[in-house]
Amino acid sequence: MTKQYGSRRTLLLALAILTLLVLAASIRYGAIDFSTAEISRALTSILPGHSEPTLDQRIFLELRLPRAILCLLVGASLGVGGTLMQALFRNPIVEPGLVGTSSGAAFGSALFFVLGGVLHMETSLWTLPFAACIGGIISTYLVFLLARSREDARASIVMLLLTGLAVNALFMSAIGFLSYIARDPQARSITFWSLGTLSGASWKAVEIVAITTIVGSIVALRYAKQLNALMIGEEEATYLGVNVNRLKWIILSVNVVIVAVATAFTGVISFVGLVVPHMLRMVGGADNRFLIIGSALTGATLLTLADLLARMVVRPAELPIGIVTSAVGVPVFIFLLRQRRYVF
Amino acid sequence: MKKILIVATVVAALVSALSCSRFHNAPSNSTEARYVVISPIYNEIIWALGAQDQVVGIDLSTTYPPEVKNVQTVGYHRALSAEGILSLHPTAIIHDNNIGPPQVVQQLQQLNIPMKTFTAKNDSFDGTKALIREMGAYFHKEARAEELCNTMDSQKAASLEKVKQYTDHPRVAVIHFGRASNVYLVVGKGGGGDGGGVSQMIELAGGQMAVENRGMQRMESPEIIAQANPDVVLLTDYGYDRLGGSLEQIKALPGVATSNAAKDNRIYRIEENVLNYFGPRSGENIGKVAAIIHQK
Amino acid sequence: MLEADNISFRVGQKVLITDISVQFAPGKLHLIIGPNGAGKSTLIKVLARLLRPQNGKIEYERVDVQHATEADLAKRRAVLSQAIEVAFPLSVREVVMMGRYPHFGGRPARLDETIVDEVMSHFDVTEFSERNYQTLSGGERQRVNFARVLAQLWRDGLTACRYLFLDEPLTFLDIRHQIDFMKKVRSFAGAPDVVTVGVVHDLNLAARFADQIVLLNHGRVVATGTPGEVLTADRIREVFDVNPTFVRANGSGVHLIFD
Repeated sequence: MTKQYGSRRTLLLALAILTLLVLAASIRYGAIDFSTAEISRALTSILPGHSEPTLDQRIFLELRLPRAILCLLVGASLGVGGTLMQALFRNPIVEPGLVGTSSGAAFGSALFFVLGGVLHMETSLWTLPFAACIGGIISTYLVFLLARSREDARASIVMLLLTGLAVNALFMSAIGFLSYIARDPQARSITFWSLGTLSGASWKAVEIVAITTIVGSIVALRYAKQLNALMIGEEEATYLGVNVNRLKWIILSVNVVIVAVATAFTGVISFVGLVVPHMLRMVGGADNRFLIIGSALTGATLLTLADLLARMVVRPAELPIGIVTSAVGVPVFIFLLRQRRYVF
Repeated sequence: MKKILIVATVVAALVSALSCSRFHNAPSNSTEARYVVISPIYNEIIWALGAQDQVVGIDLSTTYPPEVKNVQTVGYHRALSAEGILSLHPTAIIHDNNIGPPQVVQQLQQLNIPMKTFTAKNDSFDGTKALIREMGAYFHKEARAEELCNTMDSQKAASLEKVKQYTDHPRVAVIHFGRASNVYLVVGKGGGGDGGGVSQMIELAGGQMAVENRGMQRMESPEIIAQANPDVVLLTDYGYDRLGGSLEQIKALPGVATSNAAKDNRIYRIEENVLNYFGPRSGENIGKVAAIIHQK
Repeated sequence: MLEADNISFRVGQKVLITDISVQFAPGKLHLIIGPNGAGKSTLIKVLARLLRPQNGKIEYERVDVQHATEADLAKRRAVLSQAIEVAFPLSVREVVMMGRYPHFGGRPARLDETIVDEVMSHFDVTEFSERNYQTLSGGERQRVNFARVLAQLWRDGLTACRYLFLDEPLTFLDIRHQIDFMKKVRSFAGAPDVVTVGVVHDLNLAARFADQIVLLNHGRVVATGTPGEVLTADRIREVFDVNPTFVRANGSGVHLIFD
């Protein structure tokens, strides 16, 4: 016992340290590089009694810092989302981007911008993430219902991926349609939605995404043991005392919420949820408690690295982050497809 | 455990490699004007006015004149990054109200970065001259601005003389490739916004717009072109090059194959910055457009 | 004691089992047999409360089991199925530990670890402890699952009676493992506080190992009783549509041969 738990704990600790290192790099480097002295001056400038922050310091405090933190949070959401989805569908080749959640959330958000403009709605800070959740819920449940698992678990994974493909296409073209008819500049910005970017990060966004990510992950952790039981089959899990239907609804909802809210602020970022749990399983096994914590950390790290790359490679211009995650994620996806034991 | 150490080493190496290729930030205590200009037409005019020394950043879509590639690009105008722009320490950002995403615009406003849009628009010949004069005043190149306007007038007169020589009034369909939406678009008659200059240029060049609808629309239905039955089809440069200049493939676009233009192989390439919008070279561009559409 | 009282179960219009009333006493091995489509699997699932019958009731020690919670039931009732497909690489130990899930909240206690050690040793799978379950053979997997199920049903001094259900557990096993398995089941079933009910296809195995046989056909009980009582030539011919010959072999009871 102790041997396996012990090594997992070490692994998680190492991951946490790595996350902090990457966060530090992300804060320091970018279109503008900040030295440690500059960073501490910027941070102390917000304390009372200090002079007004300079433009560079404001850039650090209002653009760089929230972006770095949002990146961690969104990465964690996507990582955990991937783990939950794979546990739920008992297959390592699913993730929120592939089964419609992200595109549905993006559509909900884009629609919010269009309708908000047209109806002149009174909106609160939470209306956008709420709209994203509705969109994400509709698209995910659509896929889930259409690909209802039958006795033969393998056949339904084909259905799942194909249905996910179809639903993704549906919602992305709906976004395209919106960008065609809408006056609102945000809704028209289709590259924002389809390729994703962290460039719009703000402290407001950080606040909202922090709440959903942290609360969602804690709820998910509480059900980790039940998700483990699910790994040997739905019937078996029932025999072990798990209320499988209730588990499915709860986990699916948590999943949709954390991914949808992240997507509302960054657009669709795919493949993080696919790659992260896979990597973790290779080094630490499939226990869901380990996976949930690990994928939050690894997702945060990977997305931060991806964002760093996106900001540095063509600076001062930026690559949409979806390009970077796809460049890594697609080969992994193909590799997983080709692995015999996971396939159809 | 070993895997984590490998990853950590890679990360550390990456980070140190990136810090070695350090971007040299310009000194921020200089008193010179430093502009980031996000608009192809504004940049063309600035270069024509000779004020380009003050430009430190341009957008990806600015391609004329060729010298612009010596200036740093800040990315696609709808996918900007506030930090990227600000790393160039601009004293002002000049744009034509076509920048995004909105969050980035908000961030720039929040940081009180001066942003400037000129009132005059280049949606007509005269509008363009007004814009040149306005920009001339802004950049303190009034004399040069006047020269440019005069050149435009005289070149236009010369072009219109040439146009009178042509006896035909070909019906022209213009196909443009919209990079943001990744589809081919048909440019219609009249209307402002994207492609507003096209119908004016075609008409000045002695042609008529074959497609009646306003503005730009997607080529989903073959009827748009088929009904219009143009004598000449023009493709703007990017869209033309994208199909490798292959007449076969161009004729495969919806509705093109049955047109007179396809039958006579009167399908030509034209630079976007010659046709789509007005600018300092529009005077002579009229002549260029005429030369293309009237050829047999 | 497990009592099924006038059970019927249908899916939509199709009636799978009907009018089934049987008693299963502790300390004995009860085997349900019947041709394909007789309703054996359905009956087992209803007895284990995976399915809820439209009519009738199931009583575990005179208490209607309908209202028990999943969590509570899981502490005293376990099911061993044909073969479980594990989607991800899990170690054998992790799989066996799942049997203890109904008994602990967050993390396993010392006791749970000890129980897992014991059952793994009992089924000779200790050497596989850290191996990936997916790499095991059919026979090895069944031993692991049996260990898991036994860990789930480990006597805890609180539960009066424990219930073990076997849903065609022999399907992917070769002959040697089938016999091994049945021997182990028999020995477990002999405990006075355990009710063991299983479904098997092989009539010879049923004849050899069962204390009580329940013969099903077309969703109804045709006969219950000892193997000798139930497995008569006429009945076998009528229900299974084959012609049996009884062969007496020294020491190992009666065997059936079919043509």
